Amino acid sequence: MVEEQYRGARKWGRNAQAVATVVWISFLSAAVATMLFFAMFDPVELLETYEPDLEIGRQGGYAIGFFFFWFISAGCSAVTAWLVRTAPKSEQ
Amino acid sequence: MSNTTKVEPPPDAGLYESAAKIYPREIEGRFANLSKLATYILLGLFYLVPWLMWDDRQAFLFDLPARKFHLLGLTLWPQDFIYLAWLLMILAYSLFFFTALGGRLWCGFACPQTVWTEAFIWMEQWTEGTRSQRMKLDKAPWSWNKLRRKGSKQFLWITFSLWTGFTFVGYFTPIRELAVDVVNLNVGGWTLFWGLFYGFATYGNAGYMREQVCKYMCPYARFQSVMFDKDTLIISYDEKRGEPRGRRKRSVDHKAEGLGDCIDCTLCVQVCPTGIDIRDGLQYECIACAACIDACDSVMDKMNYPRGLVRYTTEHALEGGKTRVLRPRMFVYAGLLVILLTAMITSLATRTPVILDVLRDRNALYRELPGDLIENTYTLKIINQSNDARSFRLAVDGVPGLMLDGVDDEIEVEGGGVLSLPVRARAQRDNAYGIMNITFAVTAVDDPSVATEEDSRFLGPTP
Repeated sequence: MVEEQYRGARKWGRNAQAVATVVWISFLSAAVATMLFFAMFDPVELLETYEPDLEIGRQGGYAIGFFFFWFISAGCSAVTAWLVRTAPKSEQ
Repeated sequence: MSNTTKVEPPPDAGLYESAAKIYPREIEGRFANLSKLATYILLGLFYLVPWLMWDDRQAFLFDLPARKFHLLGLTLWPQDFIYLAWLLMILAYSLFFFTALGGRLWCGFACPQTVWTEAFIWMEQWTEGTRSQRMKLDKAPWSWNKLRRKGSKQFLWITFSLWTGFTFVGYFTPIRELAVDVVNLNVGGWTLFWGLFYGFATYGNAGYMREQVCKYMCPYARFQSVMFDKDTLIISYDEKRGEPRGRRKRSVDHKAEGLGDCIDCTLCVQVCPTGIDIRDGLQYECIACAACIDACDSVMDKMNYPRGLVRYTTEHALEGGKTRVLRPRMFVYAGLLVILLTAMITSLATRTPVILDVLRDRNALYRELPGDLIENTYTLKIINQSNDARSFRLAVDGVPGLMLDGVDDEIEVEGGGVLSLPVRARAQRDNAYGIMNITFAVTAVDDPSVATEEDSRFLGPTP
């Protein structure tokens, strides 16, 4: 006989699960993408070549790159999660 | 695992506890001590390592603003990115190896989520007291006492989180200078942003989300079971010995009454940080922290029953067989690990500390000069990866009579520096037709083994 409040634990609702998973997994992939991308390209050189008027600097470049990747992968994950959840159920 | 002993869910199973908080009970024992030790060591390392010095600079500094990674005496450049990929692969295989061998050792003792959560729970216990005190406090109406306790918990949590964010940033910008900046309230925009970002993530993950991260957000928690086999170490309740469970007096001979060793005290459930009942069998929510083992052992001691009703074991052992540690899977993982490690160490040890990049001038195909000469221009980047200044000789080959103009005999590059060198290469028109492959080579003056080559192209008029 287990006291009720300890059993079953706390569970997140489906929406909370979806949001947390999408945000977290896209965060991880953005971190990997940022690492790969900026190992090959120096934001300072990219800016000099393509946008010499912008004063962003290297650290700003890293941050913008990271949030860009995060935004893109979060969008992709969110649409995938939504499509999977709203798909017509296959008949057994 | 059999389901025969599953506890019947209460009638309102669909609704209950959808938002209830888990109040893990404090526990003492062998594994609690181990976990405390792991937390001290891992967090200690995290907070101390950025302060270590090597010669006159930070021993571990991932200097993103300068695009150089310093690891003790080694300096890695963006061009050495392959080592980072290699290192990640080695870490992944180590994780596979240890998972196959010891189950979720990583989750229970080493994962940052677990370790920081542990530290945050300590702070919670210092300020809000034991499990039952915490539960009572949460139910009680707001009072001076509640405010004081909750306030001091928040103060500790936030301070610790800020310090964590500061330390994290200290791996990427020199931490001693950063400390001075913090004291003078003069921290740069992005540095401040990332520090607060990481601090906030720590606060949220370790203070509030806790086991939910493992249950809902962690990919490893979901796929680790594919690395399991019947010889993998798991934490399990010995059903044969424990069932039928039931409360009893200590003086009673429970075997005569037809009872198993489990006295159904529910301590194993109360200490569980993910709020599961280990007696229901192996569950993916179990992070193998072993708190239930300590709890159960303490009860078995009190009852004068042998320890180990809940214990580290393997499926094979539970079924009465023998556990095989040396099995093909282990050899495959270990073999791959050894190969990767050896290759990486060899490659690092024999790495030539000079890199040459050649960029052909894109604006002009070629230039015709008086005297029937064809000229191509290039920008060379010579990167001296050693810590001391070095002189190099530059040579080019691939077209008969190809000469370099305006290049010194010896080119000095400062230690850890990049030299950008415009180069004009000239050849006689008779020798330079169409597209020809050429090779630039740099060689250190003081040590001919420090040399590297880079290919490029020389363009001339169409024949």
